[in-house]
Amino acid sequence: MRRGLMGWNAEELPKAALDARIARLRAAMQREGFDAALFYTNLVQPSAVTWLTGFTPYWSDGMLLLPRDGAPVFATALSKRVANWIRTTDTLSEIVNTPKPGAGVGKRIADAGCKRVGVLNYDVLPAGLYDEIVGAAPAVDLADLGSVFTGVRRTIDDAERGLIGRADTLARTALDLIDADKAADAGEVAGLVEKHARLGGAEEAYIAVAPDLDADRRLIRVAGTRPLAGRFAVRASIAYKGAWVRRVRSFARDAAACGAYRAADAWLAGVASSVGPGVPLDKQLAERVRELPSARLRAVMAESCIGSYPLEAVADAPVAGGFLVLTVALSLDGFPWLGAAPAFVVD
Amino acid sequence: MTEVHVTVFTDRRARLLQEMAGEGLDVLLLYGNAWQNDYLRYATDFGILEGQALAIVREDGITLYLDSALEADRAALECSGIAVVHAPDLLGEVDSALSRLSNRRIGTAPARLIPRRLAARAKDLNLGDSTAFLDRLLMGKLASEVDAIRRACKVADEGYAVFRDAARAGRADYELIAEAEAFFRSKGVDDNFQIVGVGGPEVRGMAPPSGKKLKAGDMVTTELTPCVDGYYAQICRTLVVGEANAEQNKAFALYREAMEAGIAAVRDGVTAADIARAENEIFRREGLGDYVTDQYTRVRGHGVGLFADTKPHILEDVTTRIDAGMTLIVHPNTYHPVVGYLVLGDVVAVTSEGCEVFTGTARELFSMHA
Repeated sequence: MRRGLMGWNAEELPKAALDARIARLRAAMQREGFDAALFYTNLVQPSAVTWLTGFTPYWSDGMLLLPRDGAPVFATALSKRVANWIRTTDTLSEIVNTPKPGAGVGKRIADAGCKRVGVLNYDVLPAGLYDEIVGAAPAVDLADLGSVFTGVRRTIDDAERGLIGRADTLARTALDLIDADKAADAGEVAGLVEKHARLGGAEEAYIAVAPDLDADRRLIRVAGTRPLAGRFAVRASIAYKGAWVRRVRSFARDAAACGAYRAADAWLAGVASSVGPGVPLDKQLAERVRELPSARLRAVMAESCIGSYPLEAVADAPVAGGFLVLTVALSLDGFPWLGAAPAFVVD
Repeated sequence: MTEVHVTVFTDRRARLLQEMAGEGLDVLLLYGNAWQNDYLRYATDFGILEGQALAIVREDGITLYLDSALEADRAALECSGIAVVHAPDLLGEVDSALSRLSNRRIGTAPARLIPRRLAARAKDLNLGDSTAFLDRLLMGKLASEVDAIRRACKVADEGYAVFRDAARAGRADYELIAEAEAFFRSKGVDDNFQIVGVGGPEVRGMAPPSGKKLKAGDMVTTELTPCVDGYYAQICRTLVVGEANAEQNKAFALYREAMEAGIAAVRDGVTAADIARAENEIFRREGLGDYVTDQYTRVRGHGVGLFADTKPHILEDVTTRIDAGMTLIVHPNTYHPVVGYLVLGDVVAVTSEGCEVFTGTARELFSMHA
């Protein structure tokens, strides 16, 4: 559950940026024949509503209705007492507190005479909310909004770039605090990284550790006492005002691996700053890994925020103006190495 | 994973399979995400953070389907005795698996959160709503579950001490939570629900931190809810930056009396309403009856367990019977017209004669560094 800093700041996220996003989406909706759009939100699937309004729920759930014109309507089962808090992060929407948010937005779309309404992530919409919507708007044709929304969402604006940059600074500087020679316990390392990120204003921080990279490259949500081996990796997934990044860094105590890790870190930074559009990422990486002598590419994953998840795996070739988190696993002269970094796709 | 953690999960899973047989259920389909994970966690023991998951529970095995590759990796390492499947096409994979279970009686929980596409196939797949069945198991704890909550309460006490010691004039609200979170990570706590309030009569409730800086005279309220071995334990306390004034002390004494009246009412066989009424009568006696209505407060306590805010809700219109083995927090948290929002809450385990209080932190209005 979210318990980090949450709030709206006009300098970081100008109202004009939100208006422009809504205008772009409405234009796309109109082209595809949608009279309105619905977005479910909770703390796991917050990102579409955050992108449109600035609001992220710390608890519970709700639905945002984006009509063809006028203010968005946010319906939630959170009590009226919480409406004042919602208002501090969502200055755009009309807030409707109701025990049945689906019925609330269903009545609105029925009263507005909507014929076709797009729903983001229509298939996974909670059945209870769906039943409420169709109960209140039985004649409305509901259809998936996914491709329309993703099409608008694949490029980012300056405001989002700024928020991502702030989240990344928190992640990077938190990982900088780890001293491989002194770090002995995974729980302490996780606490150190998380504390730094939260003291810096992180809205959320998920820290994961691979305590013994030679034994297993997979990362766990470690807590409590767990010894760190000579080579380990730490992942910091950090959110700032709804913008998420991940960074993974590998650490080694022996000189040989330490040198190889430094070279790989520098290589990843170079790759992340030069991801180009149009070419599948695995092809770009297969080419770039040749810059690292004796490195073998073991795995690549690209993630982005294109729907309601903060980050999700994406397979399509990068687009100019897009944002990715790039996660790479390498074998360096037999040393396992993991790295992840955010990347703004260059033209 | 500790030995006691394995024990409680083993006990829980054995009970689930036994109760399913008694209920005539062949299969359970459970949904979970980081917000509402108790139903899924009951059967799988996985504390999901990202993405969504579904689990299929059968007598001969449990399969956990996760749409996040990172979470599937983590589940494979953190969960024992279940099969873990990374399912980028979550609904497709689960639909296929359910289709192979034709002619079985399949229960779902929580039914309201089951994805629409699967719910639409309820008739074809023979799906029914088993939410009430799972709710009964979630509320009535096994002895090993009650022990787990007792341990979690100790960590909650320690976490509150860290939070309290971090409070001083000039610090931002989120910095106090950062200190508590770092402590929790070193103590095996993998999740925490926490909201705060900072200020005086203008504060009408608690929310996530907004960056507000503490100043002398402020009341700092918090509801801190660490998760230990999957079980959430909550503590509600209020502190004052500097010395508490007479009005704050007087108000706090009332809340303490209300909480203790609520705790005194807890025993096997009463209803949730009986506990709420005992708390609320104290406010009504002082002419503060308006402040125990939903205009000013949400609940007068609730269950604790695999979810931070589980059933039963302690309200005067909730007639759920309270049974031995339930674990509850009793908290008369509400707005006070003179001093602002004030909280105080202890976790108890219901016994046949009354209850055992698990929270160890003093029932004080703490005064911290001005």
